[in-house]
Amino acid sequence: MEFLAPIMLLGALGVAVPVAIHLFGRSRAKVVQFAAMEFLLGSQPQLARRYRVRELALLLVRVLICLAVALALSKPYATCTSSGPEVSRGPQAAVIIIDDSFAVAWSDGDDTLLERAKREALAILDQLGPEADVAILRSAEDAPGVTELSRDHLRLRDRIGDIEASARPAATWTALRRAGQLLAASNHEQRTVFLISLLAKSGFQHGDEPPWPADTGPVLVPVGLTDGEVVDNLAVIDLAVERDPASGSRGVRVTVEVGNFGLTPAVDYGIGLRIEDRLVARGQIALRPGERQVKQFLATLPVGSRFADIAVELDPDPLLIDNRRFARTELREEIRVLLVNGDPHTVRHDDELFYIESALRPGDRGDSGAVLTIITVDDLPSRKLAEFDVIVLANVRALRRKLVGELAAWVEAGGGLIVSVGDNVDADAYGQTMLPLLPQRLRDTFDASYGARGSERAERALRLTKWESDHPVFSVFTDDAPGLREARFDKIFLLGPTTRVTERRVLARYTNGAAAMVEARSGAGRLMLFTSTLDRDWNDLVIHPGFLPLVQQSGRYLARKQDQRSRNELLVGRSARVSVNPDDQRLEVRGPGGAGDIIDADRLQGRAAVRVTDTPAPGLYRVWATDESGQVRRRAESDFAVNIDPRGSDLAPLALDELPASGRDEVREPSAVRKRDIELWHAIAAGLIMLLLFESLLLLRR
Amino acid sequence: MTSSFLDPKALTQISGMPLRARIIVEGALTGLHRARLRGSSVEFAEHKEYAPGDEIRHIDWKAFAKVDRYYVKQFEQESQLTAYLVLDASASMDFASDGLSKLGYATSLLAALTYLLIKQRDRVGLCCFGDERGESYVPPRSRPAHLGDLFAVLESLERRGGRGAESVSLALDRVAELAGRRRSLIVLASDLLDDGKSALSALPRLAARGHDVMVFHLLDPHELEFPYRGLTRFDALEDRRHLVVDPGAIRKRYLARLSEFLERAAQTCVDAGVVYQRVRTDQPVERALLDFLAARLGRTTENRRRWSS
Repeated sequence: MEFLAPIMLLGALGVAVPVAIHLFGRSRAKVVQFAAMEFLLGSQPQLARRYRVRELALLLVRVLICLAVALALSKPYATCTSSGPEVSRGPQAAVIIIDDSFAVAWSDGDDTLLERAKREALAILDQLGPEADVAILRSAEDAPGVTELSRDHLRLRDRIGDIEASARPAATWTALRRAGQLLAASNHEQRTVFLISLLAKSGFQHGDEPPWPADTGPVLVPVGLTDGEVVDNLAVIDLAVERDPASGSRGVRVTVEVGNFGLTPAVDYGIGLRIEDRLVARGQIALRPGERQVKQFLATLPVGSRFADIAVELDPDPLLIDNRRFARTELREEIRVLLVNGDPHTVRHDDELFYIESALRPGDRGDSGAVLTIITVDDLPSRKLAEFDVIVLANVRALRRKLVGELAAWVEAGGGLIVSVGDNVDADAYGQTMLPLLPQRLRDTFDASYGARGSERAERALRLTKWESDHPVFSVFTDDAPGLREARFDKIFLLGPTTRVTERRVLARYTNGAAAMVEARSGAGRLMLFTSTLDRDWNDLVIHPGFLPLVQQSGRYLARKQDQRSRNELLVGRSARVSVNPDDQRLEVRGPGGAGDIIDADRLQGRAAVRVTDTPAPGLYRVWATDESGQVRRRAESDFAVNIDPRGSDLAPLALDELPASGRDEVREPSAVRKRDIELWHAIAAGLIMLLLFESLLLLRR
Repeated sequence: MTSSFLDPKALTQISGMPLRARIIVEGALTGLHRARLRGSSVEFAEHKEYAPGDEIRHIDWKAFAKVDRYYVKQFEQESQLTAYLVLDASASMDFASDGLSKLGYATSLLAALTYLLIKQRDRVGLCCFGDERGESYVPPRSRPAHLGDLFAVLESLERRGGRGAESVSLALDRVAELAGRRRSLIVLASDLLDDGKSALSALPRLAARGHDVMVFHLLDPHELEFPYRGLTRFDALEDRRHLVVDPGAIRKRYLARLSEFLERAAQTCVDAGVVYQRVRTDQPVERALLDFLAARLGRTTENRRRWSS
């Protein structure tokens, strides 16, 4: 025990006062020979002894009071050692940054890292003393900032106590920069940033860029929560859901990426797949330290809904929040295709539409994703074009202007039109009436194997050489595109100038450089021109494997109903886009644990979609819509999944020498063993009060 | 009348018990119109209608002649009174706050009483208790020369001071044995501060034997008022107990206990037919003597009434 004011210990000599009073008092007492002692002592013969004991107790209490006063004034303190930062006491400015990223929910069974962080913060706050201006900052991504330093340590303590782990990754560098800005406004010379954090590398988004200017910045005192050790953590870091036709019409392939961020190998670690909250598949994985592994599940979505909730979960480990990942998947939406046959034939395989019909609806299966309507040109005027997503004009003669006008209007309203050529197509006639439906004018036909015979005919035939591999239509093909490259084109239409369209784009070319597929935008719709036939009259593409995916992709692209990968990229805290129907009066989004948002009519009016920003927790968010009649309806197609940012799962701490600071002197390493002063005078003062109360009690009972 | 009495302090200045006794008695009797004490003659008391069994020789024939009815004359009982004066000479009686101690007061009072009784030719005995080894007993005599013996004993006790802590009840029981079946006047002068209860239990026993019992309960003013201030060490007179205390802190409790004791003592005496007289040692001895005589006279009248009924 040491003393801040040892001179005050001289006050302990004051002990002599009560002793002297006691002794002198006894000797000074008048002596009276008294007869009626029975009435003095009462009925208890031990009373005299009790009086004596009480007098001695009173003396003892008074002696202790004198000692306590002297001790309290001498300000004693005890020094104990513990791990943690060494904190100086007195007037200063300090910012305590507490890691509240989801990683601090890591628990060793007894205690979470967040609890440790809070204890450290409270200890530092105590040691800084009441004269320190302090601010408490949180280091999770998008954590609210603090605008000023405060001396209201009681409120600061409350603030520390209120901190809970968020579902966001750490943004430590941002917090450091905020701390630097706060301290820059302080007049104190001594400015310190206490960083109580996992010090995970992922939190330092800006690498080694210093968070505050050189020389003028505060001292950084990092307080690692794991003592520099790498703690074990397994996490699901990616989840992708794709259709798997081989598994049936409702089959899906769920691809999961799991990472081991610890130093302990994970052997036969359990992983399960849940669909609509039912465990449908379970497997095991083995991961070496630092390894990432991809695992696939094949499953079938339940019948009765186009949508399904999918979750993948690992067996529990010290950090639970990153053991689950969610996805919301949707079966492919069917497209409605109107095939207009320009060259019908009684022999089925000679029919102009035989191959495209087979490609769009292979095996005539119900899960092909396309509903086909086949008509001839004569039936076209009687059809309601709005009932279709895609119209294919296959080798049709030039249409009348009125019909072309209707088709053009339909395209501008959002329809997708494929025009293929053939023997029925006359470039001049098309040039006169069909231009609104073409991205480019037709010029002439080109017969590549004209006059050739046998093998020479095959040699002179054109082939596809260039295609826009990043275009959705060709995105399913690999670079060498087997099934497309081998196709032989004997005759094609050469194209002339561009028509009045926008965003014209040649998607594929033949070996002679001529355009094979041209796409353009017309209003809200799209036009696509294929410069050869969709049967075997001018080419043999239709019998090659690439024809089917090409047709399917083209149809879905023009119908703008692509196979949607599961929307698993939405992270906690980011905004989700929810589409709005014209009759929606109210949208309600409910997330896990009741989180969510309510969007009223005034925010919905005139909008095609709204953004939901309240996504604080990972999980599945449900959408309810209220229409004009007041009826509330689930809108399953708008439900979405929110996941945590996998960057935060890597808990490996940054080495102290890797911490961003403008100078090495600015980082003070926390001493392994710190000396901590514990003030004792508060306890002594409390004891003094108790002694005074006790003395009063004794005096009352005398 | 009170102003003519001697201050008890002044009494201490008078040396010689005989002189002191005479002064007290004379001071007490001065101014009384008539002595209430009677001589030792057979005196007519009252008439009673004759009933079978009455002495025929006591029939008042003159009355028969006048009213033609038989009346029997009744007379006061004529006897020589035997008085036992019981003096508490224990250590607690030595307490004196100012002037006369309780023992000094008691000896003066009893000496005056002795003087008075001997002058009336009553038989007076003295029994002193307190110190078990030094107990004094003077058998009852009525001779004038006996007065000197009694005064000598009282004087020596006063000089010696109080000693011991013998129980009052033991002393009273002994007096009861000495008195035997003869009805006697037993006068006790004590502070009753032994263990309290035993003294109070002995008095009714004594009264139940037919003795006239009178108690002078002697108390010092300081015992009654407890006027002490400041840290005080109280040493017990009868043993080695002591108490260092601030008197103010215990005054209320002390006075309550004392008051309860005094009430209990008075009530016990009243219940047992014992004349109880509380005497402060700062009040004149003559006053105490006069109160005694008044009480005695009242008792005689009461007895006469009782005997004639």
